[in-house]
Amino acid sequence: MKPFNILILILFATISIVLISPFLGLNRATNPEIQQHILTQLRIPRILFAFIAGAGLAVCGMVFQAMFRNPLATPFTLGVASGASLGAALYVFLGFSFSIMSIDGSTFAAFLGSLIAISFVYSISRLRSGFSTETLLLTGVAISFFFSSLILFTQYMSNVSDSFQILRWLMGSLTTVGYRDVLQLLPFVSVCIAVILWLSRELNLIMAGDDIALSRGLAVQKTRYVLFFVTSLCVGAIVALCGPIGFIGMMVPHICRLLIGSDHHWLTPATLLFGGSFLIICDTIARLIIAPAEIPVGVITTLLGGPFFLWLLIKSRNKSF
Amino acid sequence: MNGILNVQQLNVEVASKKLISDISFGLEQGDYLCILGPNGAGKSTLLKALMGIVKTTSGDITLNQQSLSQLSQKQLAQHISYVPQAHGRQLNFNVADFIKMGRYPYHSAFSDWTSADKQAMDRAIDITNISDFLSRQMQTLSGGESQRVMIAAALCQQTPLLLLDEPTSFLDPHHQVEVHQLIRQLNQQHNISIIEVSHDLNHAAHHSKHILTLKNGKTLWYGQSAELLQSSHLQDLYDQQFVFTPHPQTGAMVALPCELSNDAP
Repeated sequence: MKPFNILILILFATISIVLISPFLGLNRATNPEIQQHILTQLRIPRILFAFIAGAGLAVCGMVFQAMFRNPLATPFTLGVASGASLGAALYVFLGFSFSIMSIDGSTFAAFLGSLIAISFVYSISRLRSGFSTETLLLTGVAISFFFSSLILFTQYMSNVSDSFQILRWLMGSLTTVGYRDVLQLLPFVSVCIAVILWLSRELNLIMAGDDIALSRGLAVQKTRYVLFFVTSLCVGAIVALCGPIGFIGMMVPHICRLLIGSDHHWLTPATLLFGGSFLIICDTIARLIIAPAEIPVGVITTLLGGPFFLWLLIKSRNKSF
Repeated sequence: MNGILNVQQLNVEVASKKLISDISFGLEQGDYLCILGPNGAGKSTLLKALMGIVKTTSGDITLNQQSLSQLSQKQLAQHISYVPQAHGRQLNFNVADFIKMGRYPYHSAFSDWTSADKQAMDRAIDITNISDFLSRQMQTLSGGESQRVMIAAALCQQTPLLLLDEPTSFLDPHHQVEVHQLIRQLNQQHNISIIEVSHDLNHAAHHSKHILTLKNGKTLWYGQSAELLQSSHLQDLYDQQFVFTPHPQTGAMVALPCELSNDAP
């Protein structure tokens, strides 16, 4: 099948998911007025938010996989999401409260955290040429552990309400999002995705490896910095609002690559749509599985992602991307 | 001198290890230079320095009288193209998409695919004779096919100078001959200047115009290819004895490495 046709199929699937999912589980409320309220004030912003966050996480994952030329390298596995979480946790712990242009300070804190984590992983991966995949992933794991322990520390030192607030993030949840959160997230994710769509050709070249990319005339280093910056911004904004929802950035781009191929002109839009609808599906499951209670959506994505990670690890062993 | 490439006193250091020291040579349009030398002599590093992949520590590389350091990577890629050591089959691309990337130096962020791009691509596909597997994935190609695709992608850049890093190393004899024929065709019919890193002494001696031999990052010998097999320095180059004998079919002199131990038959 041609990439175009596959993309159209994914688009239709996405539209159906977006249209159907708000109504699932709505019939528990019998009063039509309450139903109306739930739909417009809770469900619709939540679905919109899930779509934007899922799309952002999936596209950032795709960029990481291309840049590190490895399907296991994502903002989540390389510790960037933990960096963002630490930033957000410190923001709460230190009692900061500010906003710039109505954007909450925690977003900036998370952005800084992810930027620091990314620079860490990248400089370590550049220390020696021919750094193996395993070493890179282990570096990510080590950084994750390091940041996690710092998060635990801030949590331990915080008072009960702050501690709860931090805990709520870490699980990755979409329970309390409203239109305000949607508007907070939208500019970051759309700018990030726009830049990444604009750099499709460059991403293709980077995936071919530095030598080939440079010999085709790509200023590899500069492109990398741009990509690191926008992905940090995107991951930071998402994590600040809904916590580190894991593994979407690994599963979605990989599945899309199998469906539509590695050309980023097709892969980026496919990943965007698939990632958005995937998070909506996971969130709907999280909402319905033990209704009327809910579980954090991060639990669902991680439950799916863990086995997927293992499968990739076994499959892609000793094989470059 | 009307050379297209001029290298003066080139030095490359990586992690305070000297990989290339004081290498100088020139290349004229239509020249075919082979770089020979033992493993680790700095041959690949030299090619990478010319392509801007490895940073030079000191020295000057000029391309058509213009210093390389003044060119952006994109401009450089309009003048020089590069075929790295065989790893085409590790790439997860469709053959046509991969060749298409060779047009990147001629595009800006918003430019469209033009008829000039299509022409360049068709020509590269035609010369390398790969039209049969354009829709295949790179990973499914054989070594010989993959190398032709890598060369086609470089040709797509339409550069006057092509760098090849051991283009025949992992190929069987039939495909070695095939790829070497292709390189000669590029040089003679299409007037593309070639710099090839090679381990094939006899190929270099008979088919290239000039030879540069490197050892421990230094120039050992530079001269006309025809003189390579007459000089005694091959032995210094590889720390290995050679015997020279006429080729039974063509009569041309060929070098054969001697057995290491004396008790060989």
